[in-house]
Amino acid sequence: MAANDKLIQVKDLKKHYNKGVIRALDGVTVDICKGDVMVVIGPSGSGKSTFLRSLNLTEEPTGGEILFHGVDITKKKIPNEKGKLVKLDLDKHRQKMGMVFQHFNLFPHKTILENMTLAPVKLKKLSKADAEAKAKSLLERVGLADRAAAYPIQLSGGQKQRVAIVRALMMEPEVMLFDEPTSALDPEMVGEVLEVMKELASEGMTMVVVTHEMGFAREVGNRVLFMDEGKILEQGAPSEIFDSPKHPRLQDFLSKVL
Amino acid sequence: MGSMISQAGFDLTFKYVKLFEQGIVVTVMLALFTVIFGFLLGILLCILRMTDIRPFRFLAIDRNGRLRDGGILLTLSKFNPVSFLATCYVEVIRSTPVLVQILIIYHGLFKAISLPKFTFFGFISFERFFPGVVALAMNSGAYLCEIIRSGIQSIDGGQSEAARSLGLSRGQTMLHIVLPQAIRNILPAIANEFVVIIKESAICYTIGVQDIMAAVEAVRGATFRIMEPLLVATALYFCLCFPTSKIIAYVERRMSRGSKR
Ligand SMILES: Nc1ncnc2c1ncn2[C@@H]1O[C@H](COP(=O)(O)OP(=O)(O)O)[C@@H](O)[C@H]1O
Ligand SMILES: [Mg+2]
Repeated sequence: MAANDKLIQVKDLKKHYNKGVIRALDGVTVDICKGDVMVVIGPSGSGKSTFLRSLNLTEEPTGGEILFHGVDITKKKIPNEKGKLVKLDLDKHRQKMGMVFQHFNLFPHKTILENMTLAPVKLKKLSKADAEAKAKSLLERVGLADRAAAYPIQLSGGQKQRVAIVRALMMEPEVMLFDEPTSALDPEMVGEVLEVMKELASEGMTMVVVTHEMGFAREVGNRVLFMDEGKILEQGAPSEIFDSPKHPRLQDFLSKVL
Repeated sequence: MGSMISQAGFDLTFKYVKLFEQGIVVTVMLALFTVIFGFLLGILLCILRMTDIRPFRFLAIDRNGRLRDGGILLTLSKFNPVSFLATCYVEVIRSTPVLVQILIIYHGLFKAISLPKFTFFGFISFERFFPGVVALAMNSGAYLCEIIRSGIQSIDGGQSEAARSLGLSRGQTMLHIVLPQAIRNILPAIANEFVVIIKESAICYTIGVQDIMAAVEAVRGATFRIMEPLLVATALYFCLCFPTSKIIAYVERRMSRGSKR
């Protein structure tokens, strides 16, 4: 792919705690291009969540750079269109990145429709009427049109996660980050969520997905990263990673999960 | 002296029914003002404790403009003097008896600040009533601060994270996501605090506030009966507190039904 397709460039990203005793991220370098479906795998505690959370600056890195459209967002001040240094608007940046969590994190005191319209309306991205129309059409697409007036507690896990995905889509993000979106689901509900993600991928959405669903990684992913101890130990096309893993740790990991 | 409790004792006590009537008014007023001021103080303390005022914030960033990964400077950068002082206040109040607090307020603070001498409602002496309210409010403000704060902290961090990931600001997240859930969670505790204040206000008779307990003391002084006036006081406090907590419980049930959670 051409260089200007690079949406996010991560360079030597570090997140250390306790003077480097804990290295959640220890020099991660990777490019994420438009339309990529990048799957991140690795054992628990290897830094996958920290990596995702750094991308939308929920975690502040202790070293390295994250270039988003070529601009280093880890800097407090970034150049604007005229080249003047201005304070980075974190909230604006986060609007461009949708995030889906393991535990859904729907707002329990709001209906499904309110969950979806809250951010676009409060952030004046859409009028209330437009937001509701958009939310309804998104709910339609994930087969939950009839649940708009329900509260999250009334939904199954799979339904909640589908709502969480379309809630993030309401802000029309440029990239979607998924942190183990199916890990908290009963097995029979995993499929319906993966189906929505697959559809999203086929529409060309740029996605970074932390998951233990190796079938999804192989089928939908176009690149797979293997992380361990805060480092990317191996990366490549799904076929390379799954059929001919080179790093012994990756071989060991795959023998446990496959 | 007759038996410990007798009809004659009650007859004597009921001669002073006027004192008890006044006592009820004073007790209710004490509790009401205390709740209002205590709640305002609680909110203020809570805001102070949750501020992000860090004069040494710059120490968190190293020479290359990066967040430090640990060490004394990072710890120092997190120091918030406003939050620290508010925390000290809350902890001192919660770790000392309310009786000591009320005596210090009355004999210390309000000997230094002289209050106007007047009565309102015909029988409430402002000079004694006001220090009572101040002491009770200062006390319950500390507890209410903790209640509000723990309510906010009880909300799963994933809620804020989800809200922030959608682009909502810190303030919007607090207002639309965290507070509505927190307030619902702490309503029982706040209501309970109100009932506690009604009961704790009994201590104000030690500084001469003419509440229900002062009526008990007055009857005892005049008739040398103690059990009968005490039983009357017991009945009165019960009649104030029990329905209050029942009404609050009812309102709570109504509210949680409305939210369909
Ligand atoms: N606030 C923190 N303080 C200290 N260590 C942390 C903190 N947050 C995460 N870590 C550590 O960072 C490492 C990576 O965590 P995480 O990114 O959640 O891993 P994963 O998502 O791959 O399971 C873990 O060892 C974890 O204990
Ligand atoms: Mg994780």
